Amino acid sequence: MSRLSIPVERHRLDNGLRVVLSPDRSVPVVAVNLWYGVGSRNEPPGRTGFAHLFEHMMFQGSQHVAKSEHFERIERVGGTLNASTWFDRTNYFETLPSHELELALWLESDRMGWLLPAMDQEKLDNQRDVVKNEKRQRYDNQPYGDWDERLQALVYPEEHPYHHTVIGSMDDLDAATLDDVRSFFETFYRPNNAVLTLAGDFEPAAALEAVRRWFGEIEPGGALPPLPGRPELAPLIGSTVRDEVVADVPLPRVIMAFRVPPYTAPEFATVEVARALLGKGKASRLYRRLVRERRIAKSVVVYAFPLLTGQAMMLVWATGYPGADPAVLEGAIAEEIEALAEVDAGELERAVALSETDLVSSLEHLADRADLLSMFELYFEDPDRINREIERLRSVTLDDVRTLAAERLGPANRAVLSYRPREDA
Amino acid sequence: MSAAVDRTRPPEGGPLRSFDFPAVERRRLGNGLDLLVARMSRLPMVSVDLFVRGGEHALRAERAGLAVLAAEALDGGTRRRSGTELAEALERIGARLSAQAGWEGTTVSLSCLADRLEEAFPLLAEAVTVPDFPPDEVDRAREQRLASIRQRAMDPAALASDQAASVYHAPDVPYARPVGGTVDSIGGMGRDTLRGYADVAYRPVRGGLAVAGDVEPAEVAALAERHLGAWTGAPVEVPDFDVRPATRARRVVLVHRPGSVQSEVRVGHVGVERTAEDYFPLTIGNLLFGGTFTSRLNLNLRERNGFTYGVRSRFFFRSRPGPFEVSTAVGNDVTAPAVREILAEMERLVAEGPTPEEVQATADFAAGIFGLQLETVDQVATRLSQLVVYGLPDRYFHEYRDRIREVELDQVAEAVRRRMRPAEAQIVVVGDADAVGPALEALEVGPVEVRGADD
Repeated sequence: MSRLSIPVERHRLDNGLRVVLSPDRSVPVVAVNLWYGVGSRNEPPGRTGFAHLFEHMMFQGSQHVAKSEHFERIERVGGTLNASTWFDRTNYFETLPSHELELALWLESDRMGWLLPAMDQEKLDNQRDVVKNEKRQRYDNQPYGDWDERLQALVYPEEHPYHHTVIGSMDDLDAATLDDVRSFFETFYRPNNAVLTLAGDFEPAAALEAVRRWFGEIEPGGALPPLPGRPELAPLIGSTVRDEVVADVPLPRVIMAFRVPPYTAPEFATVEVARALLGKGKASRLYRRLVRERRIAKSVVVYAFPLLTGQAMMLVWATGYPGADPAVLEGAIAEEIEALAEVDAGELERAVALSETDLVSSLEHLADRADLLSMFELYFEDPDRINREIERLRSVTLDDVRTLAAERLGPANRAVLSYRPREDA
Repeated sequence: MSAAVDRTRPPEGGPLRSFDFPAVERRRLGNGLDLLVARMSRLPMVSVDLFVRGGEHALRAERAGLAVLAAEALDGGTRRRSGTELAEALERIGARLSAQAGWEGTTVSLSCLADRLEEAFPLLAEAVTVPDFPPDEVDRAREQRLASIRQRAMDPAALASDQAASVYHAPDVPYARPVGGTVDSIGGMGRDTLRGYADVAYRPVRGGLAVAGDVEPAEVAALAERHLGAWTGAPVEVPDFDVRPATRARRVVLVHRPGSVQSEVRVGHVGVERTAEDYFPLTIGNLLFGGTFTSRLNLNLRERNGFTYGVRSRFFFRSRPGPFEVSTAVGNDVTAPAVREILAEMERLVAEGPTPEEVQATADFAAGIFGLQLETVDQVATRLSQLVVYGLPDRYFHEYRDRIREVELDQVAEAVRRRMRPAEAQIVVVGDADAVGPALEALEVGPVEVRGADD
């Protein structure tokens, strides 16, 4: 039986904007969340990093909103806001005291409808500098900071839209022009390529009416262009591919990645369960064996990236101790993956129980709740999925796990990125 | 079709909905432990924070990191079950247990679905009252800690923060050292050291048990008495200490990190304690200076100059005066200009004070966001714990928003004048000394001392 009953309403405006409403009157807070169906996968060659740079431009004002005014207005009422860009989507979000809901609708609708009149070269140059500093701070000046660039290149071939990173290259950032801003906006930032979710303290009929007032007159766009490159992808990498790096890093680290079924495939539930079996909690396979019993890893983390295009990705990170041989870490991860074949029902129950607590815990944040609803609407046209997440995981069987391990996690489908500290080499 | 809207100005807000911090039920258990319960029924979750005193600030330098290490080894097992058995017993019912130590003490946290508390709580109690610290688990935790210290030394942001702490404080002040200890202090710690520490520090008197969630306070009290009632002992002693600066003369300490493409910058000095009488005006003063996106520092360094991805300032409020600090990361070529701008903004705020509009806008922000940060049981449990840690009155968070709104312009001006001291600022830069050193010298804001990362 599910412990969750999150109310969910779906609507669609005449211009194609999809609207999800999830009222919760228990705290006087509302989360406003917008997902646009555009990400780094839509960037043509020579413009890597542009989707993210464009996200920054969305905070530089619009026809009726001055530069910095978006932040000022939201902060003034005690709200928080941000945005993020990923492979398949870009999201924008505000959480604010519920009596100020319309403030967020004003700001979001103005930049969805009237962004371009406010764009100029000075703002583009300024945000280009900010993004380049972001790249230096989070990637270039960080130990292991190039991991995603290296790993994506191993898992996805050059012509695939996931081959390049979200942050992109300095050269491509330099090449971006105001014309690019205009055409990107006109192509992708249209109401019929977006989902707007409100979660929290509001009356649904009045909120929907307000959404219509602010967003209803924005013109829809045409059909989206096809993705650049070749989005189709074989289910397997074909062999174990490697990138062995010697760098200024403090500890050896191995990142092993696998192509797995895309997020929209039913089999992705098995990927999520495998992830929890291997890496969620301290009774998980990898923590128990590598960290606690064998003491060869300082830490292990497992991710299942919910990606849409061709094949998604599961990743295992293991960080070793000084002087350790990455090959030993790699071998130990491989052993535990093979041991997935012997997982028992108790472990499965543990994996699902922890996943349930984590889900309920994240839903306490209205911002996280709204973000999940937007994702479920954009990817599945089914925001009510939020109430069936645990059943979805619970339906995964031991056989499913064995099949996934045999078909997708073996040596024919592994990318192994290893780091060794320069001083150990 | 709906009526057209006026986009030229922001819409009027609706009526403000009042919202109270949840009612706090407080009682002292027979063993001296304070129990604080707040009922929240939004979702079927519960969060428990058990706090005990005697944190890193109570330890001598040669034992630095002991409280942190003990917390990290705590889930290694109890006298009744191994670490893996403990993890399995908790995770089978979807419960998470973690322990974390800091300057003030150790917090052991439990989080689970509310209908699992009855089963999960005894495991929390067992971990704290009869920890075993098996030798293998202590070795595991110590190796992890030593590896973390190594990671911090190579992570430019962590390195800058650790170096800055040692620059702000006189060497014998606990805050001068990294909270998680050093290779020398951690290296020799074994099972006996940890057991000895836990035996003294993990005691109920002057500690707190904070519980927030979908629970009955009376049932929680019964659970606590049943599983923690027999846990007793003398309170741990915390020696008093003065927080003295290393120097009051402004200076630049440049930590050489060859090949850095960016500089991590810290500008700060000894600040003020959590219970200072000007906490509220100072909070406003700091927010408008560097605590929000639209703060003076961020608008200058990021939005106007494009020097950085972000910059912030904060007061580390502790039971004793923690530091005031500005932190940012900037490109090599703009390192000196960024330092110049930070000092100039500090001087300008101290000399001229804030504007009435800034104070009003910032008070609105602080009052509004306070309510946003009470969504989850974890957030509320943490606030309850703070009542215990800093000895704040039970109604403190109920009155918080009013206290923020009552702050006046003059109080903010006075608070920043007293608590931010640009002439005494210690400037720490972690970056490539060859690339950024000459321009820092040319700034003439103070003597420039170049150090290696290991000094």
